[in-house]
Amino acid sequence: MGQTDKDIKIVNTGCCHDCGGRCVLKAHVKDGQVIRIESDTGEDPQIRACMRGRAYRQRLYSPDRLQTPLKRIGEKGEGKFKPISWEEALTEIAAKMHQVKATHGNASILMVASGGNQGMLHGALPVGAMLQGFGGFTRSWGIASYEGAMYASMATYGTIRTGNSREDLLNSKLVIMWGWNPAVTIWDPGTSLMMSRIREKGIRIVAIDPRYSDSAATFADQWIPIRPGTDSAMLIAMAYVILDEQLQDQAFIDLHTVGLDKYKDYLFGKEDGVHKTPQWAETITGVSADVIATLAREYASSKPAALIAGWSPARASFGEQYSRAANVLTAITGNVGVNGGYASGFMRAYSSRETNHKRVIAGKDSEKARSTGNPVEDGAPPRQYALHKLFGGTNPNSARIHNAKVFDAILRGKEGGYPADIKMAYIVASNCLNQHPNTRRGAKALKALEFMVVHEQFMTPTAKFADIVLPVNTFMERNDIAPPWLGSPYYIYLNKAVDSLHASKSDLDICRELSTKLDISPGMFQFAEDDILQGITASRDDIPDYEAMKRDGVVKIKLKEPIVSFKEQIEDPENNVFPTLSGKIEIYCEHLAEMNDPKVPPIPKYMPHEESHDAALSKSYPLQLITSHDKKRAHSTWHNVPWCHDIEPHSVWLNSLDATNRGIVDQGSVDVFNDRGRLRIPAKVTERIMPGVVDIRQGAWYAPDEEGVDHGGCANVLTKDEPSPGGAHPMNSALVQIEPTPEGAGRKK
Amino acid sequence: MTQLGFYFNQTRCIGCHTCAVACKDWHDHQEATLNWMQINTIEKGVFPHLFLAFIAVPCYHCEDPSCMAVCPADAISKRAADGIVIVDPDKCLGREGCEKTPCLTACRSKSPQFGPAPDAKMQKCDFCLDRLEEGKQPICVEACPMFALEIYSMENLQQKYGEQKEAEGFRYSKKIRQAAVFTPKPEVFS
Repeated sequence: MGQTDKDIKIVNTGCCHDCGGRCVLKAHVKDGQVIRIESDTGEDPQIRACMRGRAYRQRLYSPDRLQTPLKRIGEKGEGKFKPISWEEALTEIAAKMHQVKATHGNASILMVASGGNQGMLHGALPVGAMLQGFGGFTRSWGIASYEGAMYASMATYGTIRTGNSREDLLNSKLVIMWGWNPAVTIWDPGTSLMMSRIREKGIRIVAIDPRYSDSAATFADQWIPIRPGTDSAMLIAMAYVILDEQLQDQAFIDLHTVGLDKYKDYLFGKEDGVHKTPQWAETITGVSADVIATLAREYASSKPAALIAGWSPARASFGEQYSRAANVLTAITGNVGVNGGYASGFMRAYSSRETNHKRVIAGKDSEKARSTGNPVEDGAPPRQYALHKLFGGTNPNSARIHNAKVFDAILRGKEGGYPADIKMAYIVASNCLNQHPNTRRGAKALKALEFMVVHEQFMTPTAKFADIVLPVNTFMERNDIAPPWLGSPYYIYLNKAVDSLHASKSDLDICRELSTKLDISPGMFQFAEDDILQGITASRDDIPDYEAMKRDGVVKIKLKEPIVSFKEQIEDPENNVFPTLSGKIEIYCEHLAEMNDPKVPPIPKYMPHEESHDAALSKSYPLQLITSHDKKRAHSTWHNVPWCHDIEPHSVWLNSLDATNRGIVDQGSVDVFNDRGRLRIPAKVTERIMPGVVDIRQGAWYAPDEEGVDHGGCANVLTKDEPSPGGAHPMNSALVQIEPTPEGAGRKK
Repeated sequence: MTQLGFYFNQTRCIGCHTCAVACKDWHDHQEATLNWMQINTIEKGVFPHLFLAFIAVPCYHCEDPSCMAVCPADAISKRAADGIVIVDPDKCLGREGCEKTPCLTACRSKSPQFGPAPDAKMQKCDFCLDRLEEGKQPICVEACPMFALEIYSMENLQQKYGEQKEAEGFRYSKKIRQAAVFTPKPEVFS
């Protein structure tokens, strides 16, 4: 059966979950079934899907797909449900929502929404619109992936558009991949290919990572292993060397930055008596002073050089400080706004989403910026530590609950200092129990809810706690548009390939039907899917032809030249200011200074915390846990797809020294634990991780036994739920211990 | 006779398994035991001085295939036109029907494989004959996000990429003469 088979129709669609890409898929459809998948075979640059997109048929046609609405009949979390009709499900949800609203008010309804099943239309958007129409709801803030990096980007540059086109890296003389592993996390399709081309051009690449990651191993000339949570110390010591040896770009600093003197006071001991020398950093980071000083000199003298500060080191307690320190280092070396340089920051490059960077003047427009049309939060003051005078970052509304604190908020409510007493959760495109920190607190919280609705494709650990689960279709079963992820200039039109499987429906259709039972004005729900998608397109001038996009499945936008963020500010500073309060790059951030709180210093600092490598707690829990991304999954999505799952067993990585000390053998069963929880998975004994550090890839599904030991290997059983002031999630700041299980210890004999 | 061969740029491979999953999807291999394309990982050294490489292992369509030599039923043959090694399912005795399934042990790449059914016939990578016939590259080649694979005549590949016959995790045998060309990853430790 060849491709010319007349019965096969090729449908242009695209892969759209919460990974670092949005990729072209071509679904081969025969007799209403997707029988196989190709990816981009069109013009350069091709947007080739990875293993996950290629495996999509096993997700689409999984025997575990939810088929009908389900009503819980067992205990919460037990997973016992009975099928019910849509009519019954939606009637019950509507009745319960009316009751909760009447008894406790709209603020008691919490929406938990992530990017697990999303396009520009489907996913959280219709649910938010519906809940808004119902009189409002409590929502959350703080994106686990990047909140720390975003805060630092806003504080330094006043914007999240700080990236360059990937091909501009070919103009660099040195590329530093700091905590950045695009071989697994994608970071826009084509990034790994570009990294190979950079290497092949002879450009030097340095990787800084506690693990010898796939990216470090494939692209880098030098690998510098570093203790998790200490990246800011190394970056600060690099700044020390550069300034101490007069290697900085003083003309750039004078013209484009504010506050270097205040940073110097910290670096050279005026502030706290400590000189932030490479020797100082060596004891903290585990990286030798020589290596730090050499890299500092190399970075300052290899102009232009690109320091790409990945988000993962910022997924830590005080993770904002790492991102701030990286941003500032790019500025003092004059690597901002020039070809071959890189400003770090949030690193969005191409985007038509936020083209106007307005400075919001304090006290005047900031309320407008916070306004969302959600009655529950309108009028609420800015929350503590929010950069509320700036526009374009995270919404600073204080009625929102940080994602890491959602579980605690459910348990403690207003008495615990939270903005609302939560009675009901409406969860969409989110496996929050698994993916928010502190899973066991999460389980307690979800049990405490009066009512919980989940939109899902599978019976996830989160869905098991729902009162009603509604089966949602996948992108193969509906139309949508996928925007570029972070920096690549294209849009993908996801044409519906097959009809919705079983009794599943799109998020839009579910909300459309439920709204009528909630007696709310139809709003967006009066429009058909296609009308809404046309509307989304019409508001963007980079999609000239909706029908052509739909037909071709992809619009690749040709840029006249590679994007280099801040080029205008650097080339013509008279007429272009940075969208910060000072109009310059803020090494010293006045907005932070006004907060006058040591937890948010106006200059970047190294700030240890209660789960740092050398904290008191390390006596009981001497290993640092990091929870990296897995190539087999996008967070918890694809966990249950055999083609992906079978590639390698889920395991905890640890160095052979740490294994030998504990009597642990490769693939032997071990317990990883701390005061928050315990999980039991195989060990992968490897040289690819530094001693003292262990890695459990986040996203494997929580599967506790009767004693509460997780056999699924859900990393968040061990992570803490105390975010940083700027919102950084602390997923990479957990101390743990490991021991062989009786069974695992037996294996070594 | 033209001999089709497999080119692998090992310096580019990130071990992403896209080629392997694309292969399973194209050929609809739901069974875990069927992996026409395999990815092996080579790890060497002691922290912090490490070397890591991946090797993509399809069938290398040997010029003198060991699987063909040992098959008791003459079910394995080499196509005259392009050297692709194919199996005749009508002749293959099947997983349980064949007394020793010697093809499994004869091939160092583990390319001959059986599904789980007792009467499953041996199958292996055929360089996507269906796609080649339509003038397309095999699905693994078209899928690779790193543009690290190519399947073409050995003559052409050698002209384009040189005559390097070995890579990390792959040894050439003069006896069977695997049809492959590599850009190997130099063994440099971090």
